[in-house]
Amino acid sequence: MNISNPPGGSSQRIVLPGVKQTIAVASGKGGVGKSTVAANLALALRMQGHQVGLMDADIYGPSIPIMMGLGMIDQKTTAFPIEKYGLKLVSMGFVVAPDQAMIWRGPMVHKAITQFLTGINWGELDYLVIDLPPGTGDAQLTLTQTAPLSGAVVVTTPQDVSLIDARKGLKMFQQVRVPVLGIVENMSYFICHRCGERHEIFRHGGGTRCAEELGVPFLGAIPLDPTVALQGDLGEPIVHSHPDSAIAQAYLTLATAVKAQVEAMQSEFRLPTLEFHE
Amino acid sequence: MFPTALKIVEDNKLLIEWSDGLKYVYSFGELRDQCPCASCRVKRDKQDDRQPATLLSVLTAAEARPLRIEGIKPIGNYAYGIAFSDGHNTGIYSLEFLRTLGTRIL
Repeated sequence: MNISNPPGGSSQRIVLPGVKQTIAVASGKGGVGKSTVAANLALALRMQGHQVGLMDADIYGPSIPIMMGLGMIDQKTTAFPIEKYGLKLVSMGFVVAPDQAMIWRGPMVHKAITQFLTGINWGELDYLVIDLPPGTGDAQLTLTQTAPLSGAVVVTTPQDVSLIDARKGLKMFQQVRVPVLGIVENMSYFICHRCGERHEIFRHGGGTRCAEELGVPFLGAIPLDPTVALQGDLGEPIVHSHPDSAIAQAYLTLATAVKAQVEAMQSEFRLPTLEFHE
Repeated sequence: MFPTALKIVEDNKLLIEWSDGLKYVYSFGELRDQCPCASCRVKRDKQDDRQPATLLSVLTAAEARPLRIEGIKPIGNYAYGIAFSDGHNTGIYSLEFLRTLGTRIL
């Protein structure tokens, strides 16, 4: 007999047959540029010739629509996923007005994320990048319990107040046995456009130290650049708008590092199951 | 460390073979008694406070039957969920927790 009511709610493992790799972009703390990294990483992977999807799992504060220059979608006329800049996109921000608060308890978040994964025709994808909300809550738990995650990228900024939470996020993935692909240090440094000098505004090297401490790869440092924020607000991420810029190159390098880690950690590991018959 | 195979043995025990070559056997009763879900934990914590009137509670038909396991499903890569014949299925048994239970037979 199969379990009719799966333990722990509806935590059945989801199978995404057309999706080769699923990468979660996470952080312990909010405001570290996780969605910016997720969007630009997805575009960098696309620029490297891959089929890529980007799923915004930040149900309470979706930011992918604005970063991709999209607003609300009429579901009666437009099917998910939405396509922009060669990416397949889904976000709660496509169906909920920007000024409307999502006041949901965990089970509703679980349901929404499960629907994003299973109710949408993602087609054939080389990579599905999932932009997680900050923290270690319901969205993270749902994804780690049900989605076939290839691994997680943890985004941090260099200062201790961000690193302390990045460690928590990272430990969560280790605890639930999701491979940690590595740490990205965002807003790592700023190159002054006038004097060309490098300024380490939020200190520097915290991401490398954290990676060494926890025994995970350091994937790269992304500089702080006002153009990144501007392009995000304009709805065309910097990797797409300024592909030759230093920062776009940093994202392309990051994409290469992420792919290498996914390959290195490639495992078909699945816990064994036990079939029950009447 | 992770399980490499699960089997039901002697009709009322679960055998787990682990990646380090060790085998552990778990009686269904032990697994049910040690259910790590929130409500079972609270129940266990309150064991000492139980009043005589609640010690002889009326069993449901499902609870009165010999306990069986009706399903085991992986939860992500880190745990198993077990459905018991008494209708209980909310416990998530992490692999680390499972290694602390049962009897090692090899």
